[in-house]
Amino acid sequence: MQHLANLTELRGGAAEPAIAVDGLSHVYAGADGGVAALVDIRLAVGKGRFVVIVGPSGCGKTSLLMMLAGLRQASQGSILCLGRPMPLPDPQRVGVIFQEASLFPWLTALDNIEFPLSLRGVPRAERRQRATAMLSLVGLEGFGERYPHELSGGMKQRVSIARGLIQDPPLLLMDEPFAALDEQTRMTMGHELLRIWSTTNKTVVFVTHSLTEAVYLADEVLVMSARPGRIVDHIAVTLPRPRRYDMMATSLFGQLRDRIWQQIRKLPDGA
Amino acid sequence: MMSWPAPAVVRWLILAVWLALWELLPMTGLLPELFLPALSKTLGVLYLDRQIYFAALLITLYEVACSMLIACGLGILVGALIGGIALLRELLLPVFSSLYAVPIVILYPIFTAWFGIGSSSKIAFAGIYGFFPVMLSTAAGIRTIEPQFLLAARSMGASLPQLVTRVIIPASLPTVFAGLRLGGALTIIGVVVSEMLTASAGIGYLVTLNRTILDSPRVFAGILAILVLAIAYYMMARALERRMVVWQAAGRQQRLAPRLGSAAMPAPTAA
Repeated sequence: MQHLANLTELRGGAAEPAIAVDGLSHVYAGADGGVAALVDIRLAVGKGRFVVIVGPSGCGKTSLLMMLAGLRQASQGSILCLGRPMPLPDPQRVGVIFQEASLFPWLTALDNIEFPLSLRGVPRAERRQRATAMLSLVGLEGFGERYPHELSGGMKQRVSIARGLIQDPPLLLMDEPFAALDEQTRMTMGHELLRIWSTTNKTVVFVTHSLTEAVYLADEVLVMSARPGRIVDHIAVTLPRPRRYDMMATSLFGQLRDRIWQQIRKLPDGA
Repeated sequence: MMSWPAPAVVRWLILAVWLALWELLPMTGLLPELFLPALSKTLGVLYLDRQIYFAALLITLYEVACSMLIACGLGILVGALIGGIALLRELLLPVFSSLYAVPIVILYPIFTAWFGIGSSSKIAFAGIYGFFPVMLSTAAGIRTIEPQFLLAARSMGASLPQLVTRVIIPASLPTVFAGLRLGGALTIIGVVVSEMLTASAGIGYLVTLNRTILDSPRVFAGILAILVLAIAYYMMARALERRMVVWQAAGRQQRLAPRLGSAAMPAPTAA
């Protein structure tokens, strides 16, 4: 068995990225020949890394995320998630977390979290047990029977995160998950997310508008240009982990945020 | 400061005053019996002729039940097709929407020519009368589903049948129910109106018959029977709706109510 284990390690070993995108371009079909949305995107996300994509509105960062999730197909180029392409959504490989509005209002918090399992026909008792565990992971014990409209914005987003984590996918894609939250809740939720991430060892790709959020959360920040979107900068965030709120006051934090801002300001759209 | 009584108390008070006036105004001789027979006299006639009224009510109920089945069944089916398929929507929705404003009662003579003056013509007429609000609100309910719900469900691996049963149907339920409540009420109106126009049985027929011989108490007895029927229907519909749509957030209801409300306006005048 020993040599077999080694072989697997050689083939898909530590060097292989969790996400590999090569030569990805996308054109939205239209009467005038279409609009170029993404141009020649290349990126590699290492296993267990927290990567944040920032860019101006309409730069195609959400489109890119949808393609990584298998929810949309690119006109050109290749995407490999854990070594395999994504022709269709595969929730056991890639989990997606949307804004809070994507919780189903007709289901309780627990039923929302269980939803992906019930689609797969997981027995009710097992579902309930796993969902309850997720609920306490995101710090919402006792709120399982509440409906989304009975929860605050931050609580809804916690439920959303629990729903994304319940199938235990190694890859987690997050599309501006905290955009609808107020500044204070947003900071708390970012910190919570890092806590959860550090206990689950997942690879995260996180899309946001907020520069502060990007630097605070990320191992690496990818800056995208205005449409047609391309990656114009790749910044390694060398702040130590675990991150603390007081790091935002350090000069390194300021320099990193400024570098992203300079990149975005250079863009023709001005962001 | 004197505090106002609760709205429920005021409602019952208004009802009590109304019933008292109904009894007292004719007794004092202020209103001739031809215009308004006293409540006690109306109830007395209703009791005296209870077998006639009960038989007529059974016929009316039978016609209402059949036409509700047609209105709801056909309305949900056609509404789902129109709401779900863009091509059908573009073709048919403008036609149906404008037909809804037409006073369909002018077509009733044609219905009697086709189906005779028995129950069939009432069922067909009232069925079509109630069909429109059910169909239009079902189409609206499906069309206005939050796109994030569908995207999230797909990312969690939902198949097309699962999307329909687990997302589209529950998400459109509140709007569909609003249409069912309205459509059901319109079938009652449709049945009674058609019974009053050309018929040989039913409560509406009794009202018309007694009006032609100036038997005012018996006219009001018929009106009372229909009033009770309509109120019973409304309370049943509300109770069912509350059981089925517990989750309904206030925001969604407020957003939809004005549109359905204004669409409903032409209908009662058409009767």
